[in-house]
Formats: sequence, structure tokens, C-alpha cells
Amino acid sequence: MSSHPDAPAVPAGTDVAAVRLEEVEHVYGGAGGPVAALGPISLTVPRGTFLVLVGASGCGKSTLLRLVAGFEKPTSGTVRTGGTEPVPGRGAGIVFQQPRLFPWKTVGGNVELALRYAGVPRAERARRVPDLLERVGLHDVADRRIWQISGGQQQRVAIARALAGDDPLLLLDEPFAALDALTRERLQEDLRRVSAQTGRTSVFVTHSVEEAVFLGSRVVVLTRRPGRIALDLDVGLPRTGVEPHELRALPEYAALRAEIGRAVRAAAA
Amino acid sequence: MTSSPSRPAAARPPDAVPAVPSPAAGPRPGSPPARRGRGARRAGVRVLSLLALLALWQLAAVAAGNPSFVPAPRAVWDQLVLLSTTHDGVRGYGGHLLVEHLAISLRRILIGSALGVAAGLVLGVVLGTVPWIRLVAEPVVTFVRALPPLAYFSLLIIWFGIDETPKLWLLAIAALPPVAVATAAAVHGAPTGLVEAARALGASRWDAVKDVVLPAALPEIFTGVRLAVGVAYSSVVAAETVNGVPGIGGMVRDAQRYLQTDVVVLGLLAIGLSGLLIDGLLRFAETRLIPWRGRV
Repeated sequence: MSSHPDAPAVPAGTDVAAVRLEEVEHVYGGAGGPVAALGPISLTVPRGTFLVLVGASGCGKSTLLRLVAGFEKPTSGTVRTGGTEPVPGRGAGIVFQQPRLFPWKTVGGNVELALRYAGVPRAERARRVPDLLERVGLHDVADRRIWQISGGQQQRVAIARALAGDDPLLLLDEPFAALDALTRERLQEDLRRVSAQTGRTSVFVTHSVEEAVFLGSRVVVLTRRPGRIALDLDVGLPRTGVEPHELRALPEYAALRAEIGRAVRAAAA
Repeated sequence: MTSSPSRPAAARPPDAVPAVPSPAAGPRPGSPPARRGRGARRAGVRVLSLLALLALWQLAAVAAGNPSFVPAPRAVWDQLVLLSTTHDGVRGYGGHLLVEHLAISLRRILIGSALGVAAGLVLGVVLGTVPWIRLVAEPVVTFVRALPPLAYFSLLIIWFGIDETPKLWLLAIAALPPVAVATAAAVHGAPTGLVEAARALGASRWDAVKDVVLPAALPEIFTGVRLAVGVAYSSVVAAETVNGVPGIGGMVRDAQRYLQTDVVVLGLLAIGLSGLLIDGLLRFAETRLIPWRGRV
């Protein structure tokens, strides 16, 4: 896939959705009794979509992502990725809110490990590590220790690591929430570029309306717990050939932001 | 791991006087001259305290007035010279020089604690990952840990005779629990976020243990190893109570029987100082091998 960055990831003749949720509900059993976190919710994500899930904290959007990742099984309903039940480590790269890099490995070592888990042969791994780091805008950091690079750079490494497996699906759980505003904006721009290049199906969770409009090709707003779909919107903004600042200056951009913002506020009320 | 409250306390085993200035003590030093100045002052304080200690010792020896009760520093020094040379056809103590006694004991400590550490590691990983084995085996480990080495030495002698074997067994058994307990705790408390990240990348269960759980546990395991070597050290005298010459502990026991108090004190000093040296080496190895300590 990396050799044909502009080719669509859809094999001809398949119409299997990248992600399909049917009547999914999730209930956490806790000390204070069961807590309904999500649903019932049904959602179909076609291949190539950049879906952003927006909602106030505690609306179950992270739960939804964990279900799609296969870390949790839904209490009821079915979750399918690529037509099968999701299993962690198969078919989806994940970026968490914290970088979750391994401090006993160098920056390059972290990416290399991801390639190893993806079954890439040793000789090819050495070649692909710098490529992957370049792709997320990192140069000359492969030999650094994790604590020697900034938080923004760490999250870039985490994205490179999640891309290493060439999985058809990329899941991101508020990956930029812990970063400062300036770094966040630059990472958003780079992620938008990388996403447009790879055309990979992505599910991105955030509580930021701005981030949702900027990144998403489709935005779903979730209600308060248990999270349901309050708004499901296709974002018609151009994915390529437009500079970030131009994009943000478009009148449609402002209109979408206003509409999604209203929906988020209404859903949280 | 930063959330583990027991770590800071466990990270400093009872080594009251760190003779080797730990490079780990100041990961973010000030400007080099300031650091040098502080280092010099610390060295000065240590030399002064050592001199004060010697003076107190001398005073105590004079006050006691009985060299068999408290030998003077000078007498111990003379024994050091005597035990390090051949004089009147007698080589050192009991035919072995002081360094040879020490070397033989160190060899026992090395082999014994290596065996104990290896077994403790395996046991610790099992205890930390398999809940029902933890349930069954943890009381046993705690039980063994509570036993003074001398107590089970008799049994080891019945089983293995009086040569090297029971001594190595004793040191291995003494060294095992600290490593097992530290490893089990560290493995059990493995950072779930990192394990999840590895699984998300396609790591198998074994991959996750090998590539995440063990490296994350390594700082705590290393603290366990340092404690284990310390325990092996303090058990070596017990291990050498029977047929212990040559050996520094055997030497001390033997000298005690003949009321050669200066040799006893010399033996204690040799054990203590070599212990400090080895702990310093272990700490140095730690900063080299585990640069991510405190960063998980």
C-alpha cells in the first residue's frame, strides 16, 4: 500500500464495510451497579471514510472505539470490522491518547517492533523504519530515547507505529488531547495529509468540534451516556489540494463547525 | 510504574553507607563545576566520618583495655598484613591468604545468588502471571523468606553432606525470595496501557511478556537482585559454619573459637567492604542496563 499511496484501498468487487455496528449496546459492571455506556447504536462505515466521533466526555465514544478495536465485547449486538469479529492486533492500527511508547526501545526501535509484530522480515524493517518516521514528519530521531523527544513527537511516533502494520483500519482515541494548541494544530494538519495520501479508513474520537470538522470526512455526534447517534453528517470539504488555512477560511467550514457545535451542545444538555 | 508506592522505599535496601557515589543519584546535575564542588564536599564528609569512626574505635579499644574484647585498629591492621603474607612458614590464615578466603566466599555468593536469582525470576514470572499458582505458592515463599538460613542449613547438610553443595543451596535459597517477590509484584503490576498497545500492534501473549512485561519489570527486578545479593552476603557466614575454611565466614568462625578477635573484626570488615563494592557495581550496571528506570 505504501508503494501506491494514491491507489484506493478497496479491492474490486468487495462491498464489505470497513466497520459495521448493529444494535450495539455496552454496559459496564461496576461497584456502583451496572452502567450503560453505549447504545443501542447502529453504524456503517464504508471503506476510505475518515469518521470522527464527537461527544462530551463520558458519552461512550472511547467505549465504541474499544469495541471496534476488539478490546471489549459488546453486551449485545454485533461489531464487525472487514466482515469479521474484531481481534486486537489484527486489521487495525491504534493510536491512544497517551503515546504508550516503550521506553526501553529507541524511537526507531518502537517502530521496528511494530513492523516485527506485523510480520515484516528483518531486512525490510530496517529500510521501512525511516520511511515511516518521515511520513509523520520526523527526521533524525530514530536513535533517540523516548524521553528525549517532545510530547508531540512522541505522538507522531505512535502514529507511525500504528501505520506500520498497513492495516486497513486506523483507530485514534483523542490522540491530540494532551498536546498544546500549536502542536495539536500541526499534528492535525499532518494527519489530514497522511490520511489523504493513504486513503485508509479511520475512526477518530475527540471532544473537539474544531478537530472533527477539520479532520473528518464524516462526523457523528454522540448523545450523553448511554451514547447514541445525535447527528450523522457527511463533511463535503475537499480532502486534497487545499491548504489548511484556506480550508479553515471556507464559509462551509464555519457553517459545519456551527452546526456540529450546536449538536454537541444539545446532545450534552 | 510511577504509581507503585512501594518502589522508592524498596529501591534503597539497607545499605547504610553508600561507599560508591551512585551515578543514578543525579540524573539532572547542575553545571559541571557545581557538580564537582558537591562531589568533593561529599567525599570530604565521608573521609571525615571515617576518621571519626576510627577515632571512636580506638577510644573504645583503650576503654575496654582488653584486646580479646575490643581489638585496636592497629591490631586489626597488623592481622591484615599477617594474613596477606607468608610468615614463619605459615601462609595467611589456615594456609590461605585473606584474599583467597574472600575469593572463595565471593565465588560461593556469586554461584549461589546466580542460581537463586535465576530460579526467583522464573518463579516470580509464574507467580505474577498465573493467579492460582500465586495463591498456592506465595505463602510458601513468604515462609521460606522468614526462616533464618542457619535453621535450614542443618537439613541441607543432612541431604547434601558438608562440602560445597549445601553452601550453594543455602545461598540460593536465601537469594530466591527477594527476587521472586520483586518479580511477581512487578509482573503483576505491569503497565496495562503498554501491554494493550503491544497487543494492538499484533503481539502474541508471549511477545507481550517478553517485550513489554519483563522490560517494564526490570527496574524492580534489579532492586530484587540487589536485595538478593545482600541476603546471600549476610548468609555466607551461616553457610560457612560447617567445614567453612577456606572461606571468609569460616575464617571468622574459626578465629572466634580461638578468641582471635582481631581476625574476626578483620573478616567482618572484609565482608562488609566487599559487599559495598559489589552493591556499587550492581548499581552501576543498573544505570547502564536500565536507562529507562523511572520513566515507565
